[in-house]
Amino acid sequence: MKNRLSAYLAAVCITVAGSAAFNAQAQSEASALSAMSALPVASVVVGASAVAGSVVAVPVVLSTAGTVLVVKAVESTARGTLYVLERASDGARASIEVVGRGAAGVSMVVGSSVVVSVVGAGVVLSAAGEAIAFIPNALGRALLHNERLTQ
Amino acid sequence: MKIFLPLFLAAAILGAAPAAQAGRSCEARKTTPQAVERAMTLAEKTLASLNASGEKVVLLARAGQDLSKYGVRYSHLGLAYQLPDGQGGMTWRVVHKLNSCGTSDSAVYRQGLGDFFLDDLWRFEAAWVAPSPEAQAQLLALLQDPARLTAMHHKPYSIVSYAWGRKYQQSNQWAIETMAAAAEPGVATRDQAQAWLQFKGYEPTTLKLGPLTRLGGRMTAANVAFDDHPNDKRFSDRIETVTVDSVFAWLQRARMTDGRPMMVVRL
Repeated sequence: MKNRLSAYLAAVCITVAGSAAFNAQAQSEASALSAMSALPVASVVVGASAVAGSVVAVPVVLSTAGTVLVVKAVESTARGTLYVLERASDGARASIEVVGRGAAGVSMVVGSSVVVSVVGAGVVLSAAGEAIAFIPNALGRALLHNERLTQ
Repeated sequence: MKIFLPLFLAAAILGAAPAAQAGRSCEARKTTPQAVERAMTLAEKTLASLNASGEKVVLLARAGQDLSKYGVRYSHLGLAYQLPDGQGGMTWRVVHKLNSCGTSDSAVYRQGLGDFFLDDLWRFEAAWVAPSPEAQAQLLALLQDPARLTAMHHKPYSIVSYAWGRKYQQSNQWAIETMAAAAEPGVATRDQAQAWLQFKGYEPTTLKLGPLTRLGGRMTAANVAFDDHPNDKRFSDRIETVTVDSVFAWLQRARMTDGRPMMVVRL
């Protein structure tokens, strides 16, 4: 199956993806959180609706470990940043939206390469050896939650 | 040099020395895809282990730092409980106290298992202990009551806070003081929680930290303080603080788990 440009570009315009960033907390102390480097949670943008992922499978182009993608477009959206990614080998495309400040902005500029790795809970996107976004599947969503209870 | 070297070593022992980590650790840090993969896989395995156990509430530990020189394996403790995942299955959430970015403040969070382990772990290993069914029921009632859940929280933070002090409160200390509040309805203050813990025979870990170590830690990190420790202990280098290992040992010793062993989850 090939995910063609036109289908995804159509989808890109209508997205209202929703998902919260989670925090990859770099801990340096015993029993302490001392840093919060946010690793954004990304949503896959497919068809006419935004997808925090519950009903739409992660596209093949984003679910094959070792796939190298090239960032073809970066757009600001109401909720965050949308990235159009293209598979280097055949031009197949997929789009993701990252809520909030975006996926390590410096790493994700047009023309940069993104590598796909796959775990049971979803897909990790990385650039230059740095994880830049996580796309959870159903299991991943069950594992992610971040809520501050006190001031 | 003779003076500066011990200071540096001292701070390093406390995990506070590298300038990159001291006091400004909210800066985004590079996370490798391998670290994310391992953390999420550990979360997945821990979820499977917990769901298969039949338990409802456990004390869940992670190893965020190498504390082996102190005979301590796990660094951080949270209260984990099962709840529906909204997709027809069951998942778990962890309520735990976190230091705010290397400052002297802290806050209580409710997180998923993935978030709990996405923490730059020293060792990708989890451990959990289930209290008795009665204690689990008491904890579950507290975990579902927002006011009770945060009642023992004390914002001022030191990673080596005195186990029987009230000036600061580190993460593991919050967890067991909250356990006390769950187990004993009469516990409404930290004083009372600590009295209950003493009555139940809890014994903190004694860290041997000499004066240069203490000075080094205090000078290099906002979240390290020793002024809450009694002078006689402090100046004889005995720093008594709450560790995961001491809590797990106490639960077994005090027969508070009904014979359930500690469970370890590895990659």
